Amino acid sequence: MSEDNKTPSVILENVSKWYGQVMGINDISLAIEGGVTGILGPNGAGKSTLFKLLMGRLKPSQGNVKLFGIDPWSDTSPYRRIGYVSESERLYDWMTAQDFVSTLARLHGMTREEANARAEHVLDFVGLHDVRHKEIGKYSKGMRQRVKIAHALVHDPDLIILDEPLHGCDPIARTSIMNVIRELGSQGKTVLVSSHILEEIERITEQIVILHNGRLLALGNLYAIRDLLDKHPHRIMITTDEPRKLASAFIGEEPVYGVRFPEEGKLEIQTNDLSAAHSVLPRVIVDSKVSVSRIDNPDDNLESLLGYLIGGT
Amino acid sequence: MDDQGRGLSETVWTQIDRKAGAITELTIRQLRNRISTWVVLGVGVLLISLLLVFYIDSIRTTFEPIDNDGDSEDWDNDGYPLGQERIYGTSDYDTKNYPGSSEYIYLGDIDYNDQPRTHYGNHTWVSVTGYFTPTWIDKEAESPFIYYNWIDWGGRGIDCPDGSPFEDWTYFQSPSYCVLENGTYVVFAVSFAGEGEISVEPGWSAEWGYMTESFFVEKHPKSRYIDEDPINGIDDDGDCLRDEYLTEDEYQDDGNRNGINCDVEWVYDQNGNLVSIQADYNVDEDPDDSEHIGESSHRTFIIGTGKIAFVMILGLFLPLFLALGLVRDESENGTLHYLLSKPIHRGEFILYRLLGYLGIVVSYTVILILIVALITSLIGPGDSIVRLSDYPVWMGIALATILVLTAYGSIFNTVGLVMPKYGVYICILYGIWEFLMGLFTITIPNASITMLSVSHWAIQIIDAVVMISWSDTSLMQQKAEAFGLETGISFFWHPPVHTLETGNPFVALIISVVIMLSISIGMIAIGQLIFRNKEIM
Repeated sequence: MSEDNKTPSVILENVSKWYGQVMGINDISLAIEGGVTGILGPNGAGKSTLFKLLMGRLKPSQGNVKLFGIDPWSDTSPYRRIGYVSESERLYDWMTAQDFVSTLARLHGMTREEANARAEHVLDFVGLHDVRHKEIGKYSKGMRQRVKIAHALVHDPDLIILDEPLHGCDPIARTSIMNVIRELGSQGKTVLVSSHILEEIERITEQIVILHNGRLLALGNLYAIRDLLDKHPHRIMITTDEPRKLASAFIGEEPVYGVRFPEEGKLEIQTNDLSAAHSVLPRVIVDSKVSVSRIDNPDDNLESLLGYLIGGT
Repeated sequence: MDDQGRGLSETVWTQIDRKAGAITELTIRQLRNRISTWVVLGVGVLLISLLLVFYIDSIRTTFEPIDNDGDSEDWDNDGYPLGQERIYGTSDYDTKNYPGSSEYIYLGDIDYNDQPRTHYGNHTWVSVTGYFTPTWIDKEAESPFIYYNWIDWGGRGIDCPDGSPFEDWTYFQSPSYCVLENGTYVVFAVSFAGEGEISVEPGWSAEWGYMTESFFVEKHPKSRYIDEDPINGIDDDGDCLRDEYLTEDEYQDDGNRNGINCDVEWVYDQNGNLVSIQADYNVDEDPDDSEHIGESSHRTFIIGTGKIAFVMILGLFLPLFLALGLVRDESENGTLHYLLSKPIHRGEFILYRLLGYLGIVVSYTVILILIVALITSLIGPGDSIVRLSDYPVWMGIALATILVLTAYGSIFNTVGLVMPKYGVYICILYGIWEFLMGLFTITIPNASITMLSVSHWAIQIIDAVVMISWSDTSLMQQKAEAFGLETGISFFWHPPVHTLETGNPFVALIISVVIMLSISIGMIAIGQLIFRNKEIM
């Protein structure tokens, strides 16, 4: 284990992957070691492609991928130490969770008894102990995600790769899965979690990698990126009968640096500090005694945020 | 050190074993959970059951011995079958004439113009026309032969018509006999026994002789004249070699005109192969059905079932339904990710998947073959309770089927990998090719184009095993042709072709097994190569 600490578990060197003319991953270099890392990016940013390159499903068009120093395309030995949760929703619905996890555990060379014990243990860890003898086909979406996580943890891996583990889960399952991921991080394992929702990642980890259109956009601590995000000019769209009266009330408020009237009955407020703007918003509206029917935040999504980051860098 | 070393190697092997076990088991369970698996397995059982019903039905009818020459019949109802009457030279169309019955022996006669025209004696008189002056008449005597016009003395005496009997009486007026007023009998073409003087008018005739003593001859059961001459060239029942009956015709006992009476001539070519069998009449005239037709039909059933039902039908359909999607379906479903994220080589994965598939189809085939083998070997022809000589042949059929399932399984799995969408059509076309080549192999075993198919080699295995286990099958075919006892054995079986000119079936067996294994290993290797370099989305 000590020698592994010298080299990062995951290394990508100038990795590109294209499908015909379509670029999947564009010249990414990355080294990841220890703790939970969030891979953030909108749909189609290349998160799954990145993971499939790591898991040896795809062969890089250019560059090198190394897991524990080994190329996963030609050598499956790193998988002894890796757990992978794919984005695939399909499972063997006719199997029980216990069966599924223990069968896959045996692929690590465990005996039937070891595999059963391990499966029981990890299913308990992901909170499915009580239902582990039920067929997977009868499980809810959140439970299915947890079965997938359990199978990835069954051999106590050092590196865990989770592709959209929170996708489609209800809030309770979401919380439980997040706890599992945080727990794994605190055990000192390297965990890669992908998501297209910033808030999800924020609740799990501070260490993030942002992908956009196949490029590595940002890398590092979430707070460092947050600073960058704070300079992100936000727009707040207010639908009202008297946009001009409301606009005059906003001018002079500290976070607001500009107003616009994009169309009839709408007011656009421009700000550099979204949270500050939102904190003054209710007071200004109440003071101006203008009736407001709707407030939108068109920029409050990852897509526009990333668009800003590209323009900003 | 040794302990440690062994322990290490055991660990490596047991780990591989565990992985193989897990994937094999998963594959078996997966296949078991699919309806199509049960449908195709069920159809296979149905097919074999139908064949078995057909077999059981045919064994009831055609395997029963048949009296081909009809000599077990007792046409005259005297209790002696035709075969026995022939041996004793008696007639089976005469109740009075049977083995041991008293026989008429000729002594003398007066023909149309013989002199003198009177004769005195105590005789059995036969076909007498004339005047008989009796000293004593044996009214109790019975006719030795039903065709004699024997006088029924029990009837009332008939008055003679007026006039001179042999001049005035017309044929229609003539009674069989009548008594003149002086006590002389006038007899017209009748037979009787008695002592007296016969006087025959010119132009008429009379004959006399005596009856031998009768003796008792045991009546043979009819069954003795069914299958009485097995094909061996010997007149087992002696009806050709009998003494006097029909021997006047010099060719009667030498039908094959080779100068030897009552023999069978076996004609061989230079290589010692039997060309034809020429039998004299009444030798091998009723070949043993239960031994030949029964045996021959039984073998035909086993060979035909092995080649067509097991190799060509089950051998093709099982892999088409079970092997084509072994890896392809996992890839399409996305469940492949779970399996491939484990430390298992993709090549290994293909191998273990195929092992799982083979686990199902091989156990299915072996069980099915065991059931058919058990039933047919128990009810099949032969003296022993269980036909043990069948089992090597069934083992050969099982081997051929397993190799075919392995070869097609590897081929279909690889085709499924290369062409996920259209692979099934390719496989169906290929299956048709294989089926046709199988049929050609059965009908034209020497055709070389059939060597380009897997089924050809599987059929070779069965041919070779049949030759090893039932070495007299070739002889049986020739007998069948010589005696016209066709059971299909000549259609379904030919000696194996690929013996490197040695004629040794073991050579053909080994060559075929090696070729089929090579095809399987080659296709698995190609599949592994393709799968290793395939990007999985």
